[in-house]
Order: sequence, then structure tokens, then C-alpha cells
Amino acid sequence: MKVTFPHLGSMHIFCKAIAETAGIPYIVPPETSRKTLTLGVLHSNECICLPFKMILGNFIEALQMGADTIVMVGSGPPCRLGLYDLVQKVILEDMGLHYRWLTIPPRLTWQAIWKNHEETKELRKELSARNIFLFPYGLWMGWKKMMACEALEQLAMKVRPIEIKRGETQKRLKKALSWVDEAKTPRVLEEAIQKGKALLQEMEQDRSRIPFKVAIIGELYTVMDPHINRGVEQKLGELGVEVTRTSWFSTHIMRSLRKNKADQTSERTRFFEASKAYLGYDVGAECNVSVGEAILRSKEGYDGVVHLMPFACMPETTASGILTKVGKDWDIPILTLILDEQEIEGRIQTLLEAFVEMLEWKRRAA
Amino acid sequence: MEEKGRLGIPRALMFYRYFPFWRSFFERLGWKVMVSDGVRQKEKIVYFEDSCLPMKLLVTHAMQLKEKVDHLFIPRLVSIHRTYIMCPKFRGAPDIVRLATERKVSIIDETIDLRKGGISLLQSFLRIGERLGASRQESKKAFREAEQSFSQFQKGWTDRINRLPTRQLFEMDIATPPAGRKAPLRVAFIGHPYNLFDIDINKDLLALTKSLGMEIITSDFLSEQEIDREVSGLSKEIYWSSGREIVGSLFHFLSGGVDGVVFLTSFKCGIDALLQEFIKRRLKVRGGSSIPLLILSLDEHTGREGLTTRLEAFQDVVEQRKTENI
Ligand code: SF4
Ligand code: SF4
Repeated sequence: MKVTFPHLGSMHIFCKAIAETAGIPYIVPPETSRKTLTLGVLHSNECICLPFKMILGNFIEALQMGADTIVMVGSGPPCRLGLYDLVQKVILEDMGLHYRWLTIPPRLTWQAIWKNHEETKELRKELSARNIFLFPYGLWMGWKKMMACEALEQLAMKVRPIEIKRGETQKRLKKALSWVDEAKTPRVLEEAIQKGKALLQEMEQDRSRIPFKVAIIGELYTVMDPHINRGVEQKLGELGVEVTRTSWFSTHIMRSLRKNKADQTSERTRFFEASKAYLGYDVGAECNVSVGEAILRSKEGYDGVVHLMPFACMPETTASGILTKVGKDWDIPILTLILDEQEIEGRIQTLLEAFVEMLEWKRRAA
Repeated sequence: MEEKGRLGIPRALMFYRYFPFWRSFFERLGWKVMVSDGVRQKEKIVYFEDSCLPMKLLVTHAMQLKEKVDHLFIPRLVSIHRTYIMCPKFRGAPDIVRLATERKVSIIDETIDLRKGGISLLQSFLRIGERLGASRQESKKAFREAEQSFSQFQKGWTDRINRLPTRQLFEMDIATPPAGRKAPLRVAFIGHPYNLFDIDINKDLLALTKSLGMEIITSDFLSEQEIDREVSGLSKEIYWSSGREIVGSLFHFLSGGVDGVVFLTSFKCGIDALLQEFIKRRLKVRGGSSIPLLILSLDEHTGREGLTTRLEAFQDVVEQRKTENI
């Protein structure tokens, strides 16, 4: 047995840590590339979500490398994400690829476990007692690493706009993340985190610069995965922008764990509440959060908002319509970027440059 | 009864299923129901958001009506089935229209969510009635009567589709003409109701089909059980009611009973895009179907000529297969 999982930002570090610590054989799909996307595109159609195509491409590449068990967090209504698996399964079958599919229920309910019963039983046969015994430890390591990655990425978002040497932050971040990834024991991991943070903090910085503050909002895969958004976060940072985002792997995991006890204090709840001036109902996925976040960011004095959505994304299309009005009502520049499979890196760079120029102009005029 | 005022219903989205119901309800409460006209030219489409064509048409029709009416009726259709839901965009549709019309017209945007139980539709309409100043009794009576006339309307549906011009399908006052000569071919039309019946979306493909000697049937013809049978064993439940209807009826008709199947999709429709892929792949892994299937993707740039060519080619295939089978 060899398990595999899709890419989503630094999520592979989390998955890999679990498998490695628990001694379960795994294959990390090759880093998402042009080829990955081409595979995904070839085996779907134009108006299917870009995340769907990326994930499909990851699976195809991993299966071709010898993986045989796909592990995927399940999802549900109202949007398409909840039916990715239904469609991806039949596509892989049609391609003649063999796989087993293990869905991790998004919410641990009896019904969810029951539905996965067969798969789980099957899997049990292949896992040794040692694997199962070590699994909780693996989960703990994975979580630790994930939190470390997020802390490092957040630090990078802070220092990137004031780096002296363009691109230095990204280089250092990559190195720091790889240390975290390679750490095998809690002690080594702790060292890696400290070393990684220091690496970023000690970089040469120009503290006299006052970066623009911009929030990235939108569909979660697109916000979280630099391959899907073509490095928007890095690009903005290097244009002198301090970027904030609220979509993180941990946010969504925590959200699903305490789904029913709505956390009144969480940022997401605040955003959701703020969206009510424009939206009378929960549209689904990130729509309402996107709208609400744009409003609150304006109130908090942010300079602008970048809204990311995959081409033909249903909830974010609704959000983008509403955001045009929000931008006017709250006097905050909002740039919506629609991501698709075309070669759009250059165009995105140009759009972001123009956006930042506009922010400069606005700042000077104020 | 004196006229209470004017209530506008955009000729878009679920107008193409429920208009007769909505109209009788409002008329019985004393409102003059105004319906927007067609769009015809793509230049007239309002681009408030870059959505699927059906949503853009909703906005366009609402804009046509906004100055002529006291209220616009754009219900928030979350679910019109006891278990399954609508496309997420329906949830934000009234909000989009509210912004597009710059909050200048009152919008009756009552939420309809039938997952909440058997009488929730009645309750939604009681609330709608209340907003329009009707008493509970009045609304209840209007609702019951609307229900009755709607079920009457539905009974004659397949005949209406085949014997009336598309524009008149939902005009309850126009009676269905008697049957003419029977068409030699029978073709199933599958898709969201607005894709099937909005001539601004499909350039009146129904008329063209009929003129080519094909009789049309739709998924309205099937019972829920027949549709469910085709989709119940899937690895994941399709939770959109329209999606279930599309996949279920498509597989149903592809296994027999018709000479051909036409699937009308909207370009940029999230549901159509995903399910279309599912349908094609599943057909393939299951060894295909001998019944011809035509999938058409529609948007504002779709031309009538292109559609005609494809439909004629399809008709040839259907006809050929039929003669071979005799
Ligand atoms: S939110 Fe957008 S990208 Fe995600 S499943 Fe829905 S349509 Fe697809
Ligand atoms: S179901 Fe498709 S066509 Fe209908 S509103 Fe939703 S996305 Fe648009």
C-alpha cells in the first residue's frame, strides 16, 4: 500500500509527517507544475473548478508513480467541492488508473464513519498494529509541523515587503520550510522552527518603508495554494505590500472540528456577520466571508483587498458582483483576479503592479 | 377586487417552472402581475457580474421591470425539494438584484427552503402574503387555489410543449390546441428548465426541433422514483435537485424509450460543467449507450445557425439509427 494526497499550500508537509511517523508508505505527488495542470485540464472541462483540475492532476501523477490509495478530506453541500470525489473517481476509472479512495469525513459523525466503513475495514488489514499505535503520534507531529509552517509563512508575509534584496524572503522561507519538513523528532522540529524564524528575522530589512496593507480573500484553495494563484502572495509582497489572509489550513480544520458550536469570537464569524448588510443568506463556501472581510478590512484601515476566484466559481461569482459595490460603498480598492489554466502569470504580475501603483497614488492623494 | 398594485416577475430562472403558480397566487391576492419581456439582442444583457447567462438574464429582466412595478418577486430559492438543494447562486440572487437595481425597488425575497418540512412552502407564501398586506386567510386561500390551478397546468405539460409556441407555454389563459399529426421521432430534452424554455438562452431550439419532426419529452414526464433509481447507487449523493434530475433523467432516457437525448447546458454553469463530465465518463466506463446524445453549451454568444446545424446533424443520426433498427 502506498497512500497519496493532493497538494494544497504546505499541506503535504502535514500529510507526510503523519504517514512517516506512523510508518505508513506514502508518495508525495510531484510539486504542482504546468504538467500537473495540463493533465487536470485534459481530463476535465473548461468550466470545472481550477482546484478540481489541480487535485486531479496531482492524483494522476501520484498514481502513475505507484501510489494506490488516495486520501482526501471529504466535503459536502452546497458547492461543487462536495462532489469532486464522485467525478474524479469515474475520471480515474475511465483513464484505467487503479486506486482506492479513502475519505476523511469532514465532520466526525456516525453516519460519516458508517459510510467509510468498508474502506476503513479494508485499510485495517494492511496497517500493522505498529502503524495504528503510532498514528496519534503521527497526527500530533503533523499538526505541529503544520502550525510551524503557518507561523513561518506569516512571518514571511511581514518581512517580504521590507526585504532589501528582492526574492530573499522567498528563498529563506523555502529553506525554513524544508527544515520543518525534514525534522523527524519533536526536538529536531523545535530546533528547526527556531532556526527558521531566525533565518527570516535576521534577513536584511529596510524598516523605514511603510508597506501597504492588503488582505487576500476568496475561494480557499485559490487563496491557500501558490500554484493555483500563481504566487499572488509573494508577488504582492515583493511589490511592497504586507499581505494578510484568514484562510489557513488550520483555520479550516478547526472550523470543521467545532462546526456546530459556532465560535462567536472567531474572525470568520465577524466577517460573516458583517456580510449581512449585503447578503441575506449563507451562499456557500467563502462567499459571505469574502464580502464581510472586505468591509471590515476597510474599517480597519487596510489599503486594499485582492479577491481571488477560480474561473466559473459559483459562490465567488456572486461575491465578486457584491464586492464591486462594497468597494464603492466603503471606498476600498478591490482587485478581483479570476484564475484559470491559461498562462496568466505575466498578466497577473501586470495587474498587481497596476493595483499597487493605484494604492501609491491613493496614499499620496490622502 | 380592486387592484392592489403591480408586482413584477422577471422572466428568468425558475419562472420557467413555477410562473403559473406564482401568478395565480398573486392575482388572487389582487395584484397585477407584470412579466418582463424578452431580451433578443445580446447587447441588451446587463453585465452586473460575470455569471452564467441565466443569472445575467435575471438581472437584465429585473432592470426592465424595476420602474414599472411596486415590488419585484425574486424568492430566495434555497431548496425546492424536501431533501435536495438549489445551486448556491440562487441563495444570493435577490441580493445581486437589489444591488443592481441600486436598492430602488422593493424586492419580495422570501426564503423558500422545503427541507424544513411539509408545510414550509405554505408558510413561506403566508409570509409573502403578509408583506403584501394580505390576511392569513386570504393568503391561505390564494395558496390553495394556486396549487390547484398549477397541478391542472402540469397535467397538460407534455402536450403544451409539443403544440404551443415556446413563448406561450406558461400563459395559462392560452389553451393547448388539439393534437396534430404524430411526429415520427421522440427526443428527450434535458437541462435546467430555463435552458429548455428560455428562447433568449437557446434561440428557441424547441421550435426548431418540432419543425424537424421530433416530438419532445422532458424529465417532467418521469416520476421521482424513476429518476432516483438511476442516481441512488452512486458513490456520493448528488445533492442539487436540478443535478439529480438531470443525471437521473439522462441515464433513464439513454437506456430506452426515446430516439435521442439532447442535453442543454449553460456555459459557466458550475453544476452543468461538473455533471456533464460525470455523465460522459460514466457512460464511457459502462460501455456507452446506443441512443444518440447531443450536448449543447449555450451562452450569449451562441448563434442560431450553429445550433441549427448541430441539431440537423443530430436528427440525421437519430433517423438513421431508427431506420436501421426497424
Ligand atoms: S467554491 Fe468555487 S472552486 Fe470551490 S467548489 Fe465551489 S465553485 Fe468550485
Ligand atoms: S444552476 Fe447553473 S445556470 Fe443555474 S444559476 Fe446555477 S450556475 Fe447558473
